[in-house]
Amino acid sequence: MAAAIEIQGLTKEYIDIWRKQRVEAVKNLNLTVEEGEIFGFLGRNGAGKTTTIKMLLGLLFPTAGDATILGKPMGDNSVKSQVSYLPEETYFYDSMTAWDLLDFYARLFKIPGGERERRIRISLEKVRLQPEAWKRNIRGYSKGMRQRTGIAQALINDPKLLFLDEPTSGLDPIAHAELRDIVASLRGEGKTVFLSSHQLADVELICTRVAIIHNGKLLVSGTIKELTAGDVTEITVQGEKLTNGVLPKLEAIAPVVRQGNGTLQLRANETEKITAIIDTVRGAKGEVLSIVPHRRTLEEVFVETVQKEEGV
Amino acid sequence: MIAWAIARQTVNEALRRRIMWVFLISGVALIFLMPLFGYLTAPKDSQTVLRALGLAAILLAGLFITIVTCIYLIPVEIERRTIYTVLSKPVQRYEFVLGKFLGGFITVAINILFMGVLFIFMLYLQSLKVGLDRGFFACITSGTFAPEMIRGIFMTFFQMLLLAALTIFFSTFTTPIVNFFLSFGIFMVGNLSSVTDSLTTNSNWLVRGTGTVIHYLLPNFGNFNIQNALIHPVAEISNPNEYMRNNIVYALIYSAVLLILAIIVFDRREV
Repeated sequence: MAAAIEIQGLTKEYIDIWRKQRVEAVKNLNLTVEEGEIFGFLGRNGAGKTTTIKMLLGLLFPTAGDATILGKPMGDNSVKSQVSYLPEETYFYDSMTAWDLLDFYARLFKIPGGERERRIRISLEKVRLQPEAWKRNIRGYSKGMRQRTGIAQALINDPKLLFLDEPTSGLDPIAHAELRDIVASLRGEGKTVFLSSHQLADVELICTRVAIIHNGKLLVSGTIKELTAGDVTEITVQGEKLTNGVLPKLEAIAPVVRQGNGTLQLRANETEKITAIIDTVRGAKGEVLSIVPHRRTLEEVFVETVQKEEGV
Repeated sequence: MIAWAIARQTVNEALRRRIMWVFLISGVALIFLMPLFGYLTAPKDSQTVLRALGLAAILLAGLFITIVTCIYLIPVEIERRTIYTVLSKPVQRYEFVLGKFLGGFITVAINILFMGVLFIFMLYLQSLKVGLDRGFFACITSGTFAPEMIRGIFMTFFQMLLLAALTIFFSTFTTPIVNFFLSFGIFMVGNLSSVTDSLTTNSNWLVRGTGTVIHYLLPNFGNFNIQNALIHPVAEISNPNEYMRNNIVYALIYSAVLLILAIIVFDRREV
């Protein structure tokens, strides 16, 4: 499969006017996104996600490194007709209607008259914006309607590659689920989606591969399956003396993940460790409340990875 | 085509700005009040006052409309982040700057045209010879047009073209407030071109040098003020057609240079 995005050593450094303060927003980023996949780009606020996207689109200029988009150098104007972008916190020309706005954007793609109207209709229908709102000023739109309009403008050119920055943030649960499904459906149309999001449950559900970036540095990347591999067993035990003398013994066997109200929750992988925990708890006249197999979530992987990097 | 699409959208946005309407209404109000000022002066001077006031109203309203319209065109796009969805599309940065300039200037031109037509109409009304013994048709056809005033409006139009280009140039790297003072200040200094011209022959080398730099570097907005020649027959321009043509060419070349500089600056700007 060909690469939709290929990033090599991309770096962005901000230097203040006196050249005294330097901030590396993106550090030597190397990443490949295959065609036809929904790629999750994860990171905390200020991790460098938006900076990376803006460099790929030619809105910011990299300090070092290079990237290709659909085989062309990043920022190349000729490739932009096959690319679209939904920025975080979508702002539009409020005095325009969704129809006029899409008409304006379609003109920027030089889409001819009749075809323009057809594309506008398809895009607005696809994002399920109520037809009665199509010719109403965007000023009166709810957050969900604005976000739908944002995705519609990203679909107007029938792009091969979409950069979506937080497309579902701040939406009510129904709108959230609907827009997530719309994004998921793009994969079926053969489109590539580069999705930056904090909604890790969504990412886990719809993305094929993810990358976690922190302080501008790529920490891990891989398929969801690869990253969440290593199922663990969670053991919840109870007993009065457990938190006193027995706790160090238990901690020596397996990490305590939760503690409170006379109960302890531990995680262990190997059968020997599980048996040792049970024996130690029984020896201390404690009670084993539950032993449950636990599948790691992307959120846990994300928190663990970032906290490890931060040294927490 | 892309620059034109941006220009159309810019005109739609600009015409919705309330501050522009404040200046347009002020200009229109001054033009409407012209007859009142005419009555307050001696009859022989009334036409002179009317013409001076009308052209001044168009110039003043045009000046503020140009500045308040053009200083915001690019910074607002960056501040509201609407520029992201535009420049991420196959839009070259020069097309964006040209589209914004065209949109801004078309807005200004619509305003000048509206005030200009109103001004000529008011002058016509003022020249009507009304009498009870005359019929209605005879009355309304008894006025005289003042075609020479169109020259004045035309020169204001090109003066504002130059100012719009200057404002757009500054808007690629300054904030609107800094841009306002810079553009307004340069317009004022540029209107004193006769003064700066005299400085170029001063005996003091420092004054001469400064005067030469100001006179030749800053746009000579003063050359477009032909109100005196139009209003006072004594202050006639020897060859008005040539004078106008030269200044129009000057405005076009100077505006083109400013736009090229704006494109160069904006091309290197991160958004």
